[in-house]
Amino acid sequence: MTASHLSGHLPADHALSPAWQFKRFPAIGRMLADYPARDLWDTDFARLPAPLARQRLRAREFAERYLVPAAAELDLAPHAAAGTCHPLARSILAEAGRQGWLSYFLPRPLGSMAWRTLPYAPIWQSTLIVEEFSRACGGLMLLLSAHHLGVMPLVLGGDLGTILRFVAPVYRACERGDPHLVAFAITEPGAGSDAEDGHGASLYHPGVIATPTKGGYLLNGRKCYISGGDLAKTATVFAALQGEGMDSWTCFYVDCTAPGFRVARTELKMGMRASGAADLEFTDMFVPTDRIIGGLRNGWALNRATLNASRIPVASMAVGFARAATETAVEFARRYLLGGKALIHYQDVQLHLATMVAETRAMRSLVWQEARHAWRPRQLDASLCKFHATDRAQHVCEMAMDLLADHGVQHEQRVEKIFRDVRLTRIFEGTNQINRLSMMEDWQGQLLAPDRPVGV
Amino acid sequence: MYIEADDAKLLLAEVGRFARERIGSAVARPETPVDVFVLDALTREARELGILPQEGAGGGFGLWEGTDDAGGMALSLGILAHVGYANAGIAVAWHRSALARWLSAALGAPFDAEDLHATTLVPTGHFGLARTAAARWIKSADQSDEEVALLADWLDRTAHTTTVIAPSPWSTLFWPVWRDGLIAWQRADRSQLTVTRLDAQHGLDELAAFAVRAGAGASGTATPDAGASRAIFGQVLALDMIGLLAIATGAVTRGHEMARDFAALRTQGGVVIARHPAVQQMLSEIEIARRQAEAALDGFAKPIGDIDIGTVAAARAGTHPLLCHAANQVVQIHGGIGYMRDAGAEKIVRDVNMLKLMTGGTREAHAFVAGWTGTFA
Ligand SMILES: Cc1cc2nc3c(=O)[nH]c(=O)nc-3n(C[C@H](O)[C@H](O)[C@H](O)COP(=O)(O)OP(=O)(O)OC[C@H]3O[C@@H](n4cnc5c(N)ncnc54)[C@H](O)[C@@H]3O)c2cc1C
Repeated sequence: MTASHLSGHLPADHALSPAWQFKRFPAIGRMLADYPARDLWDTDFARLPAPLARQRLRAREFAERYLVPAAAELDLAPHAAAGTCHPLARSILAEAGRQGWLSYFLPRPLGSMAWRTLPYAPIWQSTLIVEEFSRACGGLMLLLSAHHLGVMPLVLGGDLGTILRFVAPVYRACERGDPHLVAFAITEPGAGSDAEDGHGASLYHPGVIATPTKGGYLLNGRKCYISGGDLAKTATVFAALQGEGMDSWTCFYVDCTAPGFRVARTELKMGMRASGAADLEFTDMFVPTDRIIGGLRNGWALNRATLNASRIPVASMAVGFARAATETAVEFARRYLLGGKALIHYQDVQLHLATMVAETRAMRSLVWQEARHAWRPRQLDASLCKFHATDRAQHVCEMAMDLLADHGVQHEQRVEKIFRDVRLTRIFEGTNQINRLSMMEDWQGQLLAPDRPVGV
Repeated sequence: MYIEADDAKLLLAEVGRFARERIGSAVARPETPVDVFVLDALTREARELGILPQEGAGGGFGLWEGTDDAGGMALSLGILAHVGYANAGIAVAWHRSALARWLSAALGAPFDAEDLHATTLVPTGHFGLARTAAARWIKSADQSDEEVALLADWLDRTAHTTTVIAPSPWSTLFWPVWRDGLIAWQRADRSQLTVTRLDAQHGLDELAAFAVRAGAGASGTATPDAGASRAIFGQVLALDMIGLLAIATGAVTRGHEMARDFAALRTQGGVVIARHPAVQQMLSEIEIARRQAEAALDGFAKPIGDIDIGTVAAARAGTHPLLCHAANQVVQIHGGIGYMRDAGAEKIVRDVNMLKLMTGGTREAHAFVAGWTGTFA
């Protein structure tokens, strides 16, 4: 039997329930007061421009059909040796490629972006997709998304020729169902935050060095924690020029099958386990000059522009995780009986869920607000979105685990995995401490301008 | 048997050595949890050393043996903090077994220490802490019908499954059941129960998670009289909550040391990261959480009869989330390496989260406190 109302609340047809009476208001009042009580996901869906809404729906369908059923198995699977890919993940990658999820940053015929979505910032499109994928499985989301990070320097730093020469074949292979993943490699054993923060970088002695040789450069050194680096066919690797500092950073587009490249190991991660984090080793690896992206010594700016483009999508991962945690908690509260009543009928449970929903929707509002305008994403906005959404999302995941209490520890209940997945978002793409500093760095012009009030 | 504070300190120094050296070396690889054989061997060693109750009728200084005395309580809390420092999973296994033994003695049917490592305990019902009802029941006989119904449902072991976290080969389970308005304790053989081993659990990797339901014929129930029933249930709950807090404090102490060591070595931004205010702030948050937890635990170093269950629940609700935050800051200070299973920091987060969610979790502890203090009509 379904209850007609929650405990402590009036049924919808009660004399003191306002909603049904709004429908009886005079025309103007009705126009201003009567509202459809839609599902919250649908509400936001209806607020999107139609082409983006369609994209969001497609992403959800893909995620529910392919990612959700594989999530638990891939999370529990034994650690795969570097370079191997679980057959389930491989088939999902192939299907994702065929459906265009690995090539959506450029319009057809170069990529899979539909022409009707062209008027909207690609980052906005990406946030919608990443949220849906994250909600389904953090690891598979990262497997599918780190690739876009790898491609980004090619798009931002290259001219049309670079795009035709390097990006288009990658996208074509993906769409054929033969995924060509691209990894993004900035982090080194000696530089995590120093690879994300200018002040730190200015004091760092680079670890991956490019030495000029005939027709190109020899790369030597090591990059670490590179998402998808174990499966990538190519990678955008940032290296300093021999004898110079970080201001000589240059982006090299490397072929991961070339001699001198080795995946030294993959990490045993807390969560997002369907995606590998690899140590990449370069030993006299030859990279021809024509695979320098964006010109010599332009790597640092290219890196920062890439991070500005990727941090809003990282914030949308947080929305996806918070949403998954909230939806799971809501389902649990609807289903689980205590004292003969579903938990959802208890007032404290309602308060708890209300806070979780509000947090999640506040995050989404922030992310969409910034993503909508992110044609040229500002560092301040991107970093703020990233650190705030991911911090709050972890809190929402903790609230979900708290609600499930003794049951929240079980892998079967999903929330503990969501927690392990969301935990990463506060560390990568710059720790949330570094993102706070990054926001301030970008703001300093206004903060230090004499005699000018600062608007917030 | 009573123990003086100075003697307790000496014994704890020994326990600390055992935890760091013996347990520490067995669990040196955080990504590879100890198996049941190692756990069993460590349990035997701990029993021989008197850290765990020894064979016979008790009267030693092992875990939860001296609960009528401040020194004995301090010793038990210290043991759990030390073992929790080395490994929270092992600490939970020992804590719950020793508590089961304490309970069986309180019920007048002590079991042999041989059974110790095969016996575990769950002190609560199938979900949470029965809102305000359990606290109010411990306090007085004045219960509404609704509260009685809630308690009966909370402790209905056939209608609901209960999550049990224990070493995988456990064979005996103590849990509270509802009998004629009183809380009785069932000592059930695993064979009497419907036990489903779950895929995995969030943390405490040395242990396993089970969904357990009583079979129709589960027997072996001890029902104390009304006064004893209330006192024993309140005390088991208090000891369990304090124990979990002590283990979490130990785990965070370990994390704190790891974070301090790492911050003193790792260079970013041209200096060791310990020099960045961002990192100093996180280290301070860990320190503050630890101090708060240690102060709470100090307050519980008194005879169990003098411990107020409302104060315990309040301390748990207030302090445990801080310990979880502190464990998270341990990871955050480590940056990327903190996320990796072979580095150890992320395990502390998972373990401390687990400890928070066990025994009803901390969210319902608020309702429990409200029930206990009676701040409602
Ligand atoms: C699973 C995973 C996937 C990743 N994927 C990729 C990838 O695909 N490509 C890639 O290039 N990198 C990747 N990374 C690397 C990631 O971006 C870094 O781990 C992150 O930037 C932090 O660097 P770190 O690990 O070296 O930590 P550290 O920089 O050593 O930081 C340690 C602590 O010090 C603090 N700190 C450091 N410097 C400062 C400062 N100047 N001021 C104040 N506080 C400071 C940090 O906030 C942190 O708390 C990944 C990491 C992980 C864990």
